[in-house]
Amino acid sequence: MLNVIRLVWFDLKQELRPPVWIVMEWFTFTIQLFIYGALISQLVNAPEVGNYQQFYAVGFIVMMTFEVGSHTGRHFVEHAHEGLLPYFLSLPISRARLFLAITLQGGAELTLMIGVPLAITLAMIGNLTVISIAAAVATLFCLGFGVAGLMLGLSFIAFKSSDMYTAIVTGLSTIMVRFSTVLYPLIFLPPNYRTVAIMSPLTYGSDLVRLFLGFDPSILLNPTYAVAVLVALAVSTLGLGMLLLQRLVEGVKSG
Amino acid sequence: MTELLRILRLARNDFSYFFRTKWLMAILLSLHLSDMLVVALVYKNLMRFDYFQFFVPAVVIMGLFVAALDTGRRIWLAFREGVIQYYLSLPISVHGIVTAYLLAGGLAAIVYSTSLLLIALVVLPAQAVWNTLILLPFLFILAMGLAGISAALAALASTHGEYFFAYQQIVQILLLTLSTVFYPMEYVQNYLPQFLVGVVSANPLSLAADAMRQYAFAGNAIQPLLLFNILVTSIPFTLIGATAYLTALHAIQTKGKL
Repeated sequence: MLNVIRLVWFDLKQELRPPVWIVMEWFTFTIQLFIYGALISQLVNAPEVGNYQQFYAVGFIVMMTFEVGSHTGRHFVEHAHEGLLPYFLSLPISRARLFLAITLQGGAELTLMIGVPLAITLAMIGNLTVISIAAAVATLFCLGFGVAGLMLGLSFIAFKSSDMYTAIVTGLSTIMVRFSTVLYPLIFLPPNYRTVAIMSPLTYGSDLVRLFLGFDPSILLNPTYAVAVLVALAVSTLGLGMLLLQRLVEGVKSG
Repeated sequence: MTELLRILRLARNDFSYFFRTKWLMAILLSLHLSDMLVVALVYKNLMRFDYFQFFVPAVVIMGLFVAALDTGRRIWLAFREGVIQYYLSLPISVHGIVTAYLLAGGLAAIVYSTSLLLIALVVLPAQAVWNTLILLPFLFILAMGLAGISAALAALASTHGEYFFAYQQIVQILLLTLSTVFYPMEYVQNYLPQFLVGVVSANPLSLAADAMRQYAFAGNAIQPLLLFNILVTSIPFTLIGATAYLTALHAIQTKGKL
């Protein structure tokens, strides 16, 4: 386990010296919430949504979770590109532990990135129980691991062309965010967009987090489906990522 | 070969590099098309007014802004990869290099935003398409100003990538949120303190978005004062960017590095 922690720290310390990106994420969240979110909420005229600024705050946290998750996956590809992956693969550590280190590093990064924004959001919503907060945090982590696994699964494209991988992943990320309930409730989406939104994991993640944080359940998806989809996503994509890592041999690098 | 021809060649090289970067095109197109065809359309159902009509013209300006800001990334890459040393060895003056980059940045932004404008014209009928042609030179000056901002950031960050992208993100977020790209001025006046309202109304992105909405799509008669204001707010950014980039190039010439 000490080796796993050492590997996690090896990667994480680069993010912390200096913690430019963590501070940037907090800064972006603050500006987005207190200027964009506040102004847009004045334009919203939908009693079903309630306070749109709070709705947007939760959506933004889900977007941040998605970004950190996909960054973890992309980081794996960058390691391959920069030659770090062959080095990791040559270490006297099992593939399963290496995979655990990658996953834990993603979890630690997620905690650092969303810690402050989540605290601000919870304080803004107020009137929450410890259980509802814990359930919301667990949902965010489940979503983060699922997205990280998805990006790891897609990394096989990067071994053919890293440029193509970046294009696919970034394009897909934008579309997954827009065609989801991150920014707006499902009932306000046109019917043909709704069909696409139901396929986005972010729809289930954001609706489930909102349910735990006390938003009106009538504008949210059935929580049973949401839990099932998120758990299935996390388990299947992480399983796929692990399988991929088991099959990688030393010397691999993206083109 | 004249200096002008060399500048144009260098500008063409940088211009084509922008459009050849596949991942960048994927990000920009997916972002702006989904803003136009998904976000604007869904928000229309949520808002007090026709947000689609309000936001689609602004997406064109957002496209112009983001594409112009990419100039800084290309300058930063040239610093980091040492391409700038090669450029400095060419028979072209440092002023020529700076001009070429700003021209290419402005041109790439205008070509990219024109493609968004064509899509916007399909989804949202414009009342005065010809007004758009009058706006284009002013938008080009604006794009050069925005390219100037990013050039200044690249020169400031030197070869430190994390700082360059952080500066770029700060500028991007502040300029976009403190503008009328997303919301009408009356809501801004009701919510933000007076000094920030001043920033929003002087922001060149606000001016350009309003010009696009009023003149190209609503078909109002063009007010020269608004166009003049776009120039007045854009040209200083171009000059600041050019000076910062020039200073960085002189530093490389004399010290060999930044």
